[in-house]
Amino acid sequence: MRNTWLIIKREYLERVRTRSFIVLTLLLPAIMAGAFIIPAKLSSMKSSKTQRLVVVTSTPQFGEIVRQQLLSSTKPDEKANAGTNSAGTNTNTNKDNDKDKDDLDDDKPANDYAVEVDSNANDAERTALRNRVNAGDIDGYLWLSDDAVAARKVTYYGREAGGFMEKSWISGQLDRAILLRELSQRGVASAQADELLKPVKLEMVHLEAGKETKANDRGMFFTIFAMVMLLYTAVIFYGVSVMRAVLEEKNSRVMEVLLSSATSTELMAGKLIGVGAVGLTQIGIWIAMAGAYALPALAASASTGEIHIPPLTLAAFALFFLLGYLLYSSIYAAIGAVITSEQEGQQLQFVILLPLIISVFMMGPVMRAPDAPVAVWTSMVPFFSPVLMYLRIATQPPPVWQIALSVLLLVATIAGLLILCGRVYRIGILMYGKRPTLPEIAKWLKYAKG
Amino acid sequence: MNTVELNKIRKSYDDFVAVDDLSLTIRPGEVYGLLGPNGAGKTSTLRMMIGITVPDSGMVTLFGEPLRRAHAQRLGYLPEERGLYKKMKVLDQLVFLGQLKGMSAHDATQRAQQWCERLSLTEWTGKKVEELSKGMQQKVQFIGALVHDPQFVVMDEPFSGLDPSSAVVLKDAFLELKKAGKTLLFSTHRMDTAERLCDSICLINHGRAVLEGDLGKIKAGYGMRNVQIKYEGDAQFLHDAKLVQSFNDYGNYVEVRLAAGADPQELLRAAASGARLTKFELMEPSLEEIFIEAVGKANA
Repeated sequence: MRNTWLIIKREYLERVRTRSFIVLTLLLPAIMAGAFIIPAKLSSMKSSKTQRLVVVTSTPQFGEIVRQQLLSSTKPDEKANAGTNSAGTNTNTNKDNDKDKDDLDDDKPANDYAVEVDSNANDAERTALRNRVNAGDIDGYLWLSDDAVAARKVTYYGREAGGFMEKSWISGQLDRAILLRELSQRGVASAQADELLKPVKLEMVHLEAGKETKANDRGMFFTIFAMVMLLYTAVIFYGVSVMRAVLEEKNSRVMEVLLSSATSTELMAGKLIGVGAVGLTQIGIWIAMAGAYALPALAASASTGEIHIPPLTLAAFALFFLLGYLLYSSIYAAIGAVITSEQEGQQLQFVILLPLIISVFMMGPVMRAPDAPVAVWTSMVPFFSPVLMYLRIATQPPPVWQIALSVLLLVATIAGLLILCGRVYRIGILMYGKRPTLPEIAKWLKYAKG
Repeated sequence: MNTVELNKIRKSYDDFVAVDDLSLTIRPGEVYGLLGPNGAGKTSTLRMMIGITVPDSGMVTLFGEPLRRAHAQRLGYLPEERGLYKKMKVLDQLVFLGQLKGMSAHDATQRAQQWCERLSLTEWTGKKVEELSKGMQQKVQFIGALVHDPQFVVMDEPFSGLDPSSAVVLKDAFLELKKAGKTLLFSTHRMDTAERLCDSICLINHGRAVLEGDLGKIKAGYGMRNVQIKYEGDAQFLHDAKLVQSFNDYGNYVEVRLAAGADPQELLRAAASGARLTKFELMEPSLEEIFIEAVGKANA
């Protein structure tokens, strides 16, 4: 015990003190922040750009309806404003009123529009518009001749064909415009028409232990996804650290000195626990940093409860990281003892990565239906459960017996693997030279029982 | 109570028998040499002796008791291929090794510092091992094996790869340990080193003990079979098959190996009758000769 403790302590202190540990601990959050914040900043910068469009219709009335739809939000009162102050002019921008409506239409692209109505839907005009697009005078035009509208097949011609979000938003606005025109032709007043077309907003409420929390789907998804990826990456990263450390001790022959004082079991246990503790420390720091960064937002949203990571999810994260780490790193330790160079290690690593990669592929199906038999049973399989059972707990907590069974199976597998890998480790660390073949390793397993 | 007793220990790896029913005894306070060519099974024997590996059969007895884990604290081990944590600071490393041998952090620090002072490493104690020269790393390794003041020190090829000045430092430390009553065991393939330092030896070849015991007695057993002769004149006596088994002419002198049962006095008379002698000295056989002969016998 004392030896194991000494080895854990050495492993931990030596690792935590290294420059690479400190750099990685600080750098990774910076990179992550960069990966999320910079694109967000970039896309908000783009909103200052105004798209100049021409709407070509057979009648100016319909053109005006389309223009209002493109300029406006879906709020009827704002649209009324837009309608009144644009009466005399053909172009207008909707900059002023897109500030506080983000919560309503999520799909609204970041662009502003300047829309011009053109009611000459003929070939000469088409050529003229093409020239204007080419000259850079406008960004594009929508061809909404009566024929096209009747066929419900309209075309946008532009320099930039536009992104997915933009396309779906424009087509949605066109649908509304056509409906509005039809309604007004049937004698429905415009205010009534707006009332009729008011979209439904679906709100998801998460029920947990009798408490109601408004679920923020996207935030929830990203949080879970990020946590699962962190779990997956951390298991591999620290597993590889164990492999490297064993290989280094073997190649530098420190191993023999250590073996004259400690048993191979103590060495392996010390290594696994020491590196695991470093991993927990590092992830703990990251979560704390993320928490500190998100704290203002969390405090702000505490009342509305939009972002919500239950303590159970955090505890499950720690548990499944530790178990997953122990499972995979005991194999990594055995690999480290068997190989003579890191290149050899990389070839063997595939064996380990395969189940982890499969469990990442299973994430989609499991998240969509956390209670489906496929999800339930794959989350029981020890090599998948660290990722998949954690995922289920994070998305929709499964029954306790399922969690318990999965943890139990995982722990039993770890115990078995520790014994097997311990044997390979014990013999491997004193073998130099050529890498043993699988039959040779099988033989070790047999005669290393004592 | 002997420090070490090996009783017919055996170790094989697959079909290869590394150590074949080897027995030997190491008495307390002696310097013991485990000799043999490369691949003879020296390292395998040492590893079993200190419990790094377990013999397939046979018995290892340390300090009068069957080998057990707790004995590790009373022995120091210097492996053939030196190993230290390259990125760890010298003092931290020595304290860690000392603690693994059961010392308190405080005692280990104190002892490590004393040793570093003696081997003039004091100003390097805060440096990482990788910043040290090879020779200094050797010294650190050496301290690592001794920091817990073991009763029994086992060193695998301690002199190989040492520069001459480090070799002298090591030899002095060796003698000091001997004076302090420690038991020392080292392996080497260099017979001359063993001849100078050892009280007892075990010669092994292909995993088997060819010769074992007190070096003086072994040599005495081989008798004074060699004669160094310096002469001028007739060399006829060298060709007397009844007296001379073989000879080696070194120019300044010849070394003669007496024929079995021949009396050196008779050779002296024969030589003196024809040549003018300036030197006639009976010599102990060198360990190397003994080894070659013993191996020859064992193989025959």
